[in-house]
Amino acid sequence: MKEGESKFNYLIFGFSAVWIASCVFLSLLFINEESTIMLIVFNLLFASLTFPLNGTLIRKASLLLMGNIIGLFWNYLFSLFAYTVAHHLGESFNVLYMILSTFVNLVWIVSFWSISLTALASSENRKVRLRLDN
Amino acid sequence: MALMIAYFVRHYIFTLTVLRKPQKHERAVTVGKTPYQPTVSILIPARDEEKVIGRILQRMTELTYPKEKLQIIVINDASTDNTGKIAEQYSKTYGYIKVIHRDEKEGGRGKASALNAGLKHANGEIILCFDTDYYPQVNIVEKLVVGFADQKVGGVQGRVVVLNEPQNLVTRLVALERMGGYRVDQHARHVLGLVPQLGGTAVAIRRSLLESLGGWDPSILAEDTDLTFSIYLAGYKILYIKDAESYEEAVESWKAYRKQRRRWAKGHMQCAFKHSLKVLKSNNLSLKEKIDGLLILNVYFMPILTILSWIIGPLLFLLKPMQPLNALLASLLVSIYSFAGNFAPFFEVGIGAYLDGRTRICWLIPLLIFTCLYNIVICTEAFTDLLISKISRKNHLHWDKTVHSGNGNSYIMS
Repeated sequence: MKEGESKFNYLIFGFSAVWIASCVFLSLLFINEESTIMLIVFNLLFASLTFPLNGTLIRKASLLLMGNIIGLFWNYLFSLFAYTVAHHLGESFNVLYMILSTFVNLVWIVSFWSISLTALASSENRKVRLRLDN
Repeated sequence: MALMIAYFVRHYIFTLTVLRKPQKHERAVTVGKTPYQPTVSILIPARDEEKVIGRILQRMTELTYPKEKLQIIVINDASTDNTGKIAEQYSKTYGYIKVIHRDEKEGGRGKASALNAGLKHANGEIILCFDTDYYPQVNIVEKLVVGFADQKVGGVQGRVVVLNEPQNLVTRLVALERMGGYRVDQHARHVLGLVPQLGGTAVAIRRSLLESLGGWDPSILAEDTDLTFSIYLAGYKILYIKDAESYEEAVESWKAYRKQRRRWAKGHMQCAFKHSLKVLKSNNLSLKEKIDGLLILNVYFMPILTILSWIIGPLLFLLKPMQPLNALLASLLVSIYSFAGNFAPFFEVGIGAYLDGRTRICWLIPLLIFTCLYNIVICTEAFTDLLISKISRKNHLHWDKTVHSGNGNSYIMS
């Protein structure tokens, strides 16, 4: 690896780490603990499972950062919705919220994961192969 | 909750394994310069399969394995349609194809019973099994039998790929499940030296071992899982050969999916009752094999635990409010498991599809929520049936046969 390329990779890593830490911190500060945990789960799964795949580091890092932004906004919108409903329904909504919230979070995590895999695929992998008799 | 974490971590390890060790640890087995070619008997149980029996038999005639070492046995299991006639036509043309006809008295008692009937007529050193709706590669026999050169190998499993995937949403979702199950789960188990499972088809078993185990147990609905654990408990190993592919006609409707999965769930639960303790006590299994074995055996109980946790969790929360963080963690784990980790979590399926070069199908992964929720209903139903049959001591466990339409024929290129 060339020295310039190596420095660029370090830059990407550093920038990504700061970005992710900021998103996690913002979610803890302005939303709730649950969204923070979900963001951490997303980052762990995404980083460990998609970074070994084909594709440039910058593309993977961009997707990861985009995922954090989406997760942050998704959780922010859902928390606003939850506060509104809880205001009308009272404490009983907490039970429903307990079950619903992680499901709602997984909707964006799984969808984003699916789209990211497609985005990361190389053009040769896009060809549908029917490997009969190979 | 500990169990859910265990399953989740296991799937995560499997996924990491296939990503980081895609080709390593493949057990290539060769015997000197001459190819290892034992005699082989292929068993094809068939009951009312007139729409697909011709396809598999035609494929059998195209196999590249030396025909003098090949015996094909069709077990016409009390069919009421033209299955027997079609098989007889092939038998007349090709000397190595034999048809065994079972009438209503002895037939129709499930796949295990039909296979046992076929086994009596088999003379090959290695027994292969194919369901009638399957379409194997022409060189699949060579790929499957080579592992038996190692005397410690009792069984070899090939890979199952869905043939009629583009047909509708159900077949596409089944294809995704298969990718997770075979491309990632089975392959990782093979690489990690855990417990690769024998499926009911595209499978090879050492005949001497099979006979010493008494053949297939007809009282178990998941005869493949039962045989898997009998083989391990007898001190033998099972290999998974991912390049030995066989193409299946997947169920095409939610109703057929339910019927098939309910049978699998009941059979798996029967195996859990039969083998769990034996696996724990066995001296032939290492600790990691025991852990993986127990997780496999009990996997169909997990959807039931999930539904129970959905009911009990909120009740406890209402009766005695937990600390917010505990409630949050509980709901998080339960939801992660139940949404994505029923039998194959989203990341495992995604990586399986990616490694297969099937990236567009990844878009359907979020829809696996439907099969996940459906499996909760199916497994609960299966468990209830099993309990009723245990309590009433009546056999409610009849073989619900999957009907094959033959639509898979249109996906085969001539």
